[in-house]
Amino acid sequence: MTGDRLLSVAPSPAFWVAVAAYAAASAALFMVLAGKTSWKRIALGLVVFAFVAHGTDIGWRGTLNVHPAQSVREAIGFLSFILTGGYLLASTRYQLTLGGVVIMPVALVMLLAARLTPAGAAPDGLDTLGRIHISLATIGVGVFALASALSAIYLVENRALKKKKFDSIAFTKASGAPLEGLDRLSHRLVLVGFPIFTVALVLGAVWVSRLGESLDRPEYPLAAVTWLAFAGLLLARQVYGWRGARAAKLTLAGFAAAIAVLAIYLIRRMVA
Amino acid sequence: MTDLFVVGISWRTAPVAVREKLAFREDELPDTLRALTTTAPVAEALLVSTCNRVEVYGVGHAGADPTGPVRTFLARQRGLDVRDVADALYDHRGNAAVRHVFRVASALDSLVLGEAQILGQLKDAYAVAGASGTSGPLLGRCMERAFGVAKRVRSETAIARGAANVSTVAVDLAHRVFGDLSGKSVLVVGAGKMSRLAARHLYASGAQHIVVTNRSPEKAEALADEIDGIAKPWAQLEQLLTEADVVISSTGAREPILTKALFKKVTKARRWRPLVVIDIAVPRDAEPKIGDLDGVYLYDIDDLEKVVAANLAERAKSAEQAVRIVEHEAGQFEQWLRTQSVVPAIRALRDRFHQVAETELTKTLDQLARREPLSAVQRESIQRVMQLVVNKLLHQPTTALRAAAADEAALRADVLCALFALEPVRASSDAIPIGALDTAQLEAIALDDRAAPPQAIPDVPTTSPSEPSERS
Repeated sequence: MTGDRLLSVAPSPAFWVAVAAYAAASAALFMVLAGKTSWKRIALGLVVFAFVAHGTDIGWRGTLNVHPAQSVREAIGFLSFILTGGYLLASTRYQLTLGGVVIMPVALVMLLAARLTPAGAAPDGLDTLGRIHISLATIGVGVFALASALSAIYLVENRALKKKKFDSIAFTKASGAPLEGLDRLSHRLVLVGFPIFTVALVLGAVWVSRLGESLDRPEYPLAAVTWLAFAGLLLARQVYGWRGARAAKLTLAGFAAAIAVLAIYLIRRMVA
Repeated sequence: MTDLFVVGISWRTAPVAVREKLAFREDELPDTLRALTTTAPVAEALLVSTCNRVEVYGVGHAGADPTGPVRTFLARQRGLDVRDVADALYDHRGNAAVRHVFRVASALDSLVLGEAQILGQLKDAYAVAGASGTSGPLLGRCMERAFGVAKRVRSETAIARGAANVSTVAVDLAHRVFGDLSGKSVLVVGAGKMSRLAARHLYASGAQHIVVTNRSPEKAEALADEIDGIAKPWAQLEQLLTEADVVISSTGAREPILTKALFKKVTKARRWRPLVVIDIAVPRDAEPKIGDLDGVYLYDIDDLEKVVAANLAERAKSAEQAVRIVEHEAGQFEQWLRTQSVVPAIRALRDRFHQVAETELTKTLDQLARREPLSAVQRESIQRVMQLVVNKLLHQPTTALRAAAADEAALRADVLCALFALEPVRASSDAIPIGALDTAQLEAIALDDRAAPPQAIPDVPTTSPSEPSERS
């Protein structure tokens, strides 16, 4: 792939199916949250359908030599796919309607951004090392995204329980996701995501230094901040026994930094 | 109009002082049911007696109104004059009775909307009726459907969600924080009645360690013995708070004993592990500010009552949806019953047609055989054609009967019987269990173009009153 060639291809029919399914799943989950409990199966079915269509779209792009890790733009589409898959996995254990109402629209927006924004030009020197870096970073951030979603649900539910908002949606509808379970699962996800992200960061540094690029771009210190936030979180949990709301807030802070890195990459590539 | 009926008394129509006079002990039920079916025009009967209702569900003999005799029977059984309880007793017949049974099973008629006990009580009552020989196919079908409706209502609506009394709210709140309570530790501070109840509920929900502490060691020992807990000295309160997951406090102290200063030390020692504190003492045992600390979830008696109110409000919202389910299911049952009422006429018509066909076929085959011997294939072909013709002819009247409204169906069945000089065997519930015929079997009676032998009316499965839960 050369530098003057556009990175992307036209969206596949499966993409449009996935978009429709994500939108329908978001609406159905909202209906479940609003009290239509009988819609729950339909909503989950739509999420599964969206996930399958999304996977099909990624596969279809693969047949046209568009790799999910060839650019940040593609990686965001893949991140959205991981997010949906993780949500489905977590839903087998917990009642995460509230989380779904947040995650599904986010996944939809990410997918749209990944497919419909200007593709820009391919970066120079995207070799195997670069692809591995992008793949691992995507998976790491995807796992952090899931941990952050659980932490966000934790904070909403925790607030409802602490402030005794017995008539709030978080209190009445999200009874299947106990706080301790959310906290534990979020912690486990960070434990999984952190080493992946660490390796991605190291490989990224090696790749950039090989290309001879300068390290004074804003995304590099932000990536370091992300790593430090999650490293600090693990340390605080392990050494000082941090858990619950404190840990959830730090998880969200780390993820915000990760999102900032992705946003800068995406904008830079679009401008390019 | 079906023969199903309901006669009873409930919390809606009578205070406990009246209900208790009509209540039956479990060991009295079999004899009472047998006496009822012997002395009143009742073919099938079930008696449910709980603290909130005493009701008879049954099927009357054809043409008789059993509600009056059942009212009298109930009063006499308890040594009362029926006039004394006439206002408190109510009765329903036909579709209204079916709707009532479905509503009761779904806990829509319960004092605490959506409570779970009534379904178990109905299943027990049904089992007793089965064992006493007073349950039959029609009542059985109605009860099994009622259990199915109740299951549907509980799974499709939020009518049974959330704790509905203060002592179980503690469990609900602990579930929201911890999820599974197995392995969790409960600390009971003080020895009030409410804390005893709440501790029992937590224990029943999986909490494994219950520790009791009190300023009076004797009271702590007594309560610990009562709830399978361990008594610990009051002096160890700080250490006990550090080890507990749920604290239930109900001392008679005039000043708070669970202070913020104490909890600051406790939460740090716990490394901010979650701690649910249920303070049901008045005056309160816990300073409200401890609820601001990380990992501490504090609820007082007012909070618990607010949770109950919120849960009941949620249940009430779901009741509308539950009623729609009950109405839909009752409509389906009504449709099914209507189909059953024309079965005897269809059966008689079918028998007549097949008898005529069989007779004429035998004659014809004999005549043909005298002229020229027929091969087996030829005989089978002629028989098949004859049966196909008969079944085609039966299709239209069967469909018309099934599709008609209840009164219209009876009229059409009468006309059919008059036109063809049929004598349908009216299947009473204690004779032929038509109640167990379903639509598919009805279809098979007249629509099977493959021409079953004339007498091959599908086997009628009998209901099994002793196994209600399997069908529910």
